[in-house]
Amino acid sequence: MTATDARLDSLRGSTEPLSFTARTIAALTANPGCVRRALMDAAGADKAALATHVGFPQRSGASQSPFALTRGGIFEAQVKASGGADLVRLLRDKLGLDLPEVSYSDLESVGGNTTKKVRYRRTRALLLRAARHPDQAGTLYDHPMLRLQVGGHLAYLEPDVVAFQIQGKFHVVEVKSFAVIDGQADEESVAAAAMQAAAYIVALQDMLTAESLSASAVSTDVILVTPENFSPQATATFIDVRKQVAILRRQLARMARIGVLLDELPSGLTFDLAPDPDGNYTRARGELASALEVVPARYQPRCLKTCELAGFCRDEARAAGALTVLGSVVRDDLGSLDSISTALALASGIRQPSADQADIARALRYVKSISDTLAGGTV
Amino acid sequence: MQEPLDALETRIAELRRAIRGALTVREQDRVRELRAELRRAERSWDALVTPPDRPEEDRQGLASLLPAREQVHQALTLLGAPAAPKLIAAVHAAFFAGQLTPSRLASLRRDEERSYRAAPGARPYYLCPALTSDLLSAARALLCVSTWPLEQRIIGPLSPRVDFLTAAIQIAEAAPSLSGAATGSASAAVDRLLRRFAMNIPGAGPAQPGGSVHAETIAAAARAEFDIHFARDHDDRAQAAVRARQQLDDAEQLFGARLAAVDDTGTGRRLPGPA
Repeated sequence: MTATDARLDSLRGSTEPLSFTARTIAALTANPGCVRRALMDAAGADKAALATHVGFPQRSGASQSPFALTRGGIFEAQVKASGGADLVRLLRDKLGLDLPEVSYSDLESVGGNTTKKVRYRRTRALLLRAARHPDQAGTLYDHPMLRLQVGGHLAYLEPDVVAFQIQGKFHVVEVKSFAVIDGQADEESVAAAAMQAAAYIVALQDMLTAESLSASAVSTDVILVTPENFSPQATATFIDVRKQVAILRRQLARMARIGVLLDELPSGLTFDLAPDPDGNYTRARGELASALEVVPARYQPRCLKTCELAGFCRDEARAAGALTVLGSVVRDDLGSLDSISTALALASGIRQPSADQADIARALRYVKSISDTLAGGTV
Repeated sequence: MQEPLDALETRIAELRRAIRGALTVREQDRVRELRAELRRAERSWDALVTPPDRPEEDRQGLASLLPAREQVHQALTLLGAPAAPKLIAAVHAAFFAGQLTPSRLASLRRDEERSYRAAPGARPYYLCPALTSDLLSAARALLCVSTWPLEQRIIGPLSPRVDFLTAAIQIAEAAPSLSGAATGSASAAVDRLLRRFAMNIPGAGPAQPGGSVHAETIAAAARAEFDIHFARDHDDRAQAAVRARQQLDDAEQLFGARLAAVDDTGTGRRLPGPA
C-alpha cells in the first residue's frame, strides 16, 4: 500500500470503500474542478451516507429511481431474448453483420458462479482470444465483466453487450430504455449513456493494451439500442464517443495524481462516519460538517444531478452568497465577481468598482436601471 | 361429468396432504404455492358441481389444474428446443388453455432437481436446465425436457439462434392447424407470437409494416437461415455431448456440472472445459 492509499483510507475512515460503477465513473467527469468530489471518489467514501448524516439526505438525481431500473431491465431482457434476436436484426440491418455471425456468449455467470472476479477472468479470456484469432471469435458477448483502474482502486464494469465481428472491431452496445422519437432523444440521457459507454471503451482498450494488442481494435462508435418512437420495438443508433473517451482518460489520470490534492489537507482530517457494530453512525454531525468544509468544493446546480453530496455543497454556497448557486451562465457572465452581495452592491452603486470590475459594474447598473424602470412602470 | 370430478377430488386430497407435508418441514414458499393451487382446484370443483352455464370458463379452469410442470412440458414439446420461461409462457398462452405465469416456473427447476435426486427416474420426465457447451453447467434461464437427447439440451455459441429458428419453424407449422378451431383471442395470441418471430428473421416479415404475417413464409425464411447455422452448431453440440457423457454422472447430465469454487491458488476442482 502506498502512502497515498493509506492517506485515502484514513480520509474515508472505517467503512469499506465503495466500488465504482459505470454511472459513478461517468459522474466523475461532471465537475472535474471540484476537489471535494475528487477526494471523496478517490477514497471511495460513501457520499450518500455522509450527506444524510450531515442533514442533507439526497432526494433524487444521482441515484436511479426503482421505476427507471425496472423499465430498463424489462427493455433489456426483451432486446436480448432468444439469443439477442432483436439485437441480431439491428446489427444486420444497420451495420451489415453477416448472416452466419450469430454466436452468443452469456457471461452473466460462469457455471453458476456470478462473482465479479470469476466473470472478469472468463470475459478477459474470451475477448483476448477473439482479438487474437478473429476467425474463431464469437459475435455477441452478453454482460461481459470488465475492470478499470480508478484512482488506485479496481472498478468492475458491466457493459450490456459487447459485439465483435463488425468490421473486425469490438463495439460496445448500450441498451437504454429512453425513447428515440423521430430520430431525436433526450440530450442529457444520451450524454450520460455516451459517458458510460466511454468508461467501457477505456476498460476494453486497457485490457487489450496490457496484452500488447492494439487499442484500435475497440471502436469508439457506440451502438445505442433504444425503443423507437412510442413502440416497444428497438432501434439502434451510432454515437461517436471519442471526445468522452478523451475526457474520461484525462479525469482518470488526474485521479491517479490525487496525492497533490492530499498534500494540501491538514493531517488527521477524516470523513469517518465511525459506525458502531450495529451500523449506526456515531460521528458528531458538526465535526463531520466542518471536516467536509475544509476541502474546497465547486458547487454548480448541475451537481444536484450527479453528486449525492450536492445538497450540502449548495447550502454552503448559498450561505456564502456564492454566484455559482445561480448556475454556470451567470457565473461566467459575472466572471470577476465572487459573491451575490458584491454584484448587488455594484449594481446599486453602494460599492465602487475596482479597475477590473468597471465593465461589469456598468453592465450591472444598466440592468438595474431597466429593472427599476419596469418595476416603476407597473405601478 | 363424473370423471373430472373424481380426478379433482383426488387432486384436492393430494394437495391437502402436500400442504401438511410442507407445513411440517416449514417450506413457506411451497405452502403458499400449494394453497393457491388448492384454491384453484376447489373453485373448479365448485364450477363443475354447479350446472355449466359458461362452458368456456370451465374448460379453462380444468386445464389450469394441470400441474405447472405438465403445462411447461406441453409448451416445450411444441417448441422442440430449450426455451426461456417467458417464451414458454407465451407459447402456452397461445396454444393451450389455462394460465401459466413465468413466476410459477421460478421454483420449478429446483423442485425438479430435488425430486430427481430423492428418487432418480421415478417420473417419466423431468424439466431440467439446458447445459452450456463449454463448462457443461446449467445455462441461465433455459428449460428443457430430460427425455431429449443431450445434443438437443446443450447450448453452444450458435445454439441460441438455432433454437430461436427451430422454435419459429415449429410454431409456424403448428399455427395453421390451430387457426381453424381457435377462438378469437387465442388466434390473436398466436398471431402476436408469429409476428415477434417474423420481425427478427430476414425475409419472414410482412410485406408492408403492419401487414399480415404468413406462417408458411415464416417457416420457409426460418428454415433458410437455419441451414446456414445448422452444421456448425450441430458439431459444437455433438462434441460437447460426447464430453458430457464421459465426464458427468447421470444427475449432472440432466442438471449440469456442479462447479467447486476455484480459488486463486488453483487447487479447486478443474472445470470440465475443453482441453
